[in-house]
Amino acid sequence: MSVIDYLLLMVLMALTTAITRGFFFLLADSRLPPWLQHALGYVPAVALAAIIAPDLLMSGGHLAINPSNLKLLAGIAATIFFLLTRHLISTLAFGMAVFTLLRLFAPTL
Amino acid sequence: MNSIQTEQAAREKAAFWDGFRISAQTMPGLVAWGAVTGMVLVQSGLSLWQAIVMTLMVYAGSAQLAVLPLIVASAPMWLIFITALLVNFRFIIFSAVVGPHFSHLHWTRRLWYGYFNVDLVMAFFPQRFPQHTIAKPDGKLGYFTGLAMPNWCAWQLGSLIGILLASQIPRDWGIGFAGTLVLLGLTIPLIVNRATLAGVIVASAVAVAAAGLPYRLGLVAAILAGIAASVTIDRMTGSATDQEQGTP
Repeated sequence: MSVIDYLLLMVLMALTTAITRGFFFLLADSRLPPWLQHALGYVPAVALAAIIAPDLLMSGGHLAINPSNLKLLAGIAATIFFLLTRHLISTLAFGMAVFTLLRLFAPTL
Repeated sequence: MNSIQTEQAAREKAAFWDGFRISAQTMPGLVAWGAVTGMVLVQSGLSLWQAIVMTLMVYAGSAQLAVLPLIVASAPMWLIFITALLVNFRFIIFSAVVGPHFSHLHWTRRLWYGYFNVDLVMAFFPQRFPQHTIAKPDGKLGYFTGLAMPNWCAWQLGSLIGILLASQIPRDWGIGFAGTLVLLGLTIPLIVNRATLAGVIVASAVAVAAAGLPYRLGLVAAILAGIAASVTIDRMTGSATDQEQGTP
């Protein structure tokens, strides 16, 4: 791909970012019906869950709800830690520490 | 400047720092996530300058990763464009959460702010400005910018680190897991009632079941299914109580 082609492609891709993220920003006076506004209140929780679920619950492209899924174990540990401390950055540090220790020292099941 | 304008500027500035403080907590996870993405860009065959230009311009990790094999295989440009568009589809739903709050701005500024309405900005914004505040613009631009700026900086910093150190960081360290942990810590406090819990469970199940769908459309399906589940539980248990507690 030539330099010009690549730059053109990047402009097009940046456009897809702007068009999708800005979709309802651009629809001027987009008065959404009340039921839809209410439903959108659930989007943050639901979307974040949908993004992380495959990383926590799957391994190698397959459902892996078992003790050999180290991300799941570390995720459970981090959840408990977060519920106790309510602190995001220490939860991140704790979860990564658990994950790394498991990865290095857990016997392969 | 008259006193009303001064007051307004002060309010926007305070809102900016409120947003900044919340968003800054997520920076370590975003740096790690960006680094993984940057590494993959280079390891998949993009040159340094190609990877850097892509990161700075496109600012959409999943779309960037999705088009990599197509670029490397010299696929036609329209196919790469359509692929990126489909992968970004979930952002249309996100834009409906935040977009209506900015309908008073000129369209170029709406497009500009929309570009920065990433997952975490969309997740934080309605916690301070729920749907019923749409008509009141006070503090929103400041707050949005305060959320969006650390997000962009952390993501780009991480990406550049990943691109430049691609050969030095072993992939099996699993540093990308840091991004997942941050989102996990953000999701838990959002689960404030049974309806949200149901949505989270259904969305997770559908995301896993549909993970094999192309263009990350499984994510879109999961979000829609999750919303439907939440609304259904809401209807069954009576939404009045939810409104009193403040919908998530």
